[in-house]
Amino acid sequence: MSTLSRDQVRTMMGEVLATQGKELPADDSTRLDAIGFRSLDFSELALRVEDELDTELNFDAPELRSIETVSDVLDFVDQLQQA
Amino acid sequence: MSQPAGAGNRIVTSRYDGTWAGLPGWPELPSAAAVLVADNTDAVRAVWQHVTDGDRETLIATATRVEDEQAEGFRADGLAVVRGDVVQPATAQRAADGGRVWLLTSGSTGRPKQVAHTLDSLTTVAGDQPARTWLCPYATGAYAWWQVVTLSLSLPGQDVVFVEPSQLDEWPQLALEHGVTAASGTPTFWRQALWRAGDVVAQLKLEQITLGGEPVDQAILDRLREVFPDARISWIYASSEAGAAIAVHDGRAGFPQAWLDRETAGRPRLSVADGELVIASQKAAEGMAPAIRTGDRVEIVDGRVLITGRIASDEINVGGSKASASSVRRVLLDHPDVVWAAVRGRKAPLVGNMVVADVVLRDGAEADTARLQAFCAERLPDYSVPRRMRVLPEIPIKETLKSDV
Repeated sequence: MSTLSRDQVRTMMGEVLATQGKELPADDSTRLDAIGFRSLDFSELALRVEDELDTELNFDAPELRSIETVSDVLDFVDQLQQA
Repeated sequence: MSQPAGAGNRIVTSRYDGTWAGLPGWPELPSAAAVLVADNTDAVRAVWQHVTDGDRETLIATATRVEDEQAEGFRADGLAVVRGDVVQPATAQRAADGGRVWLLTSGSTGRPKQVAHTLDSLTTVAGDQPARTWLCPYATGAYAWWQVVTLSLSLPGQDVVFVEPSQLDEWPQLALEHGVTAASGTPTFWRQALWRAGDVVAQLKLEQITLGGEPVDQAILDRLREVFPDARISWIYASSEAGAAIAVHDGRAGFPQAWLDRETAGRPRLSVADGELVIASQKAAEGMAPAIRTGDRVEIVDGRVLITGRIASDEINVGGSKASASSVRRVLLDHPDVVWAAVRGRKAPLVGNMVVADVVLRDGAEADTARLQAFCAERLPDYSVPRRMRVLPEIPIKETLKSDV
């Protein structure tokens, strides 16, 4: 399976926000609730990643509950691709 | 047996051009037979044999719709299976149930089921009708196909031009050549025709346009009215199980709310239970409940009862919120650049499912998926906005002429 770089996932995250007229801040420690990145947005990002990799990922991992910042999202997608 | 009133009507298939009465006979056809046909020529021959013999039991379906296992089931039920010159006798012997016509349902809920009709229960148009040449693009042996066939058999002046699945792309030309003045098709069929061959379609001298088989939206009715300002445009609600139950000719989507719970002699009784259309009809297939739950969801808006989609497939659970696929589709079709849309749920983390859509855009469209999402976001709750959208190069069309919506 090919993998997506952290930057590529970050770009996708920015695209999800851009369709709602929002911008992804440069600081990865920004909290998701501060930029209005909600569960629907995370789900959309997940589908974008799956489409890009052309594979279904297991998003049911326990780490999913502790995602609070932009960095958490990027880490999580990173981990998924390693699994 | 005396010949039906429409025996002299002209029928045109890819291999035959003549009257019903002029069709070559098929005397060796077993009296109880499932005729699995390659094309409409064999199908109309089987119909004519059924009509003229009087005491036959017949099932007609396109061979490609019937798997071997199902064909074996027909044989075990006492029907010989006929494919061209090859006849497989029934494995259970019994006398033919004279006059019975078996139909396979469209199979939108799984494998096609068998329902029993007679030519009488399949004949729903009576009285004087203007002379017309009909186009019949429906899947051979389907309920809508039989509607056109029985119309032509029972009323003089109702000629039919049959379209094979392989001719679906060129039907407007075929219709022009044969002087078609009336055509019946699904909304998907009409949408595809106007999108792909609008110029040729507009040259047809259509006096009657009929839509059925799928929910009809206002946009396609308006577009047809624009192209054919003088045609009578009808929407028919019918199913193999319930028969033809609703006919609307006012060019508006849905039917008047006043028709609900009304008792009219000879007409089906329509009602709504838990958001589902329920029909009690004398034209229903044999063995149906007195009131048939159709599985179609309805919504009442401004005094009209709109059929919005199948209950089983319409609801998409997005994180506990219920998105309606048909409502999302309606919004997409309201966009001037969208000629076709299909909406479904897709498995997604955190929320269980997300709404996704496939669309076909008109030539020269300015919209892209981001603009369409924004358009939806202005009109729908956020959980209903399609988060992934594909633009397809053309409208996908199935043998049933219905789209996967």
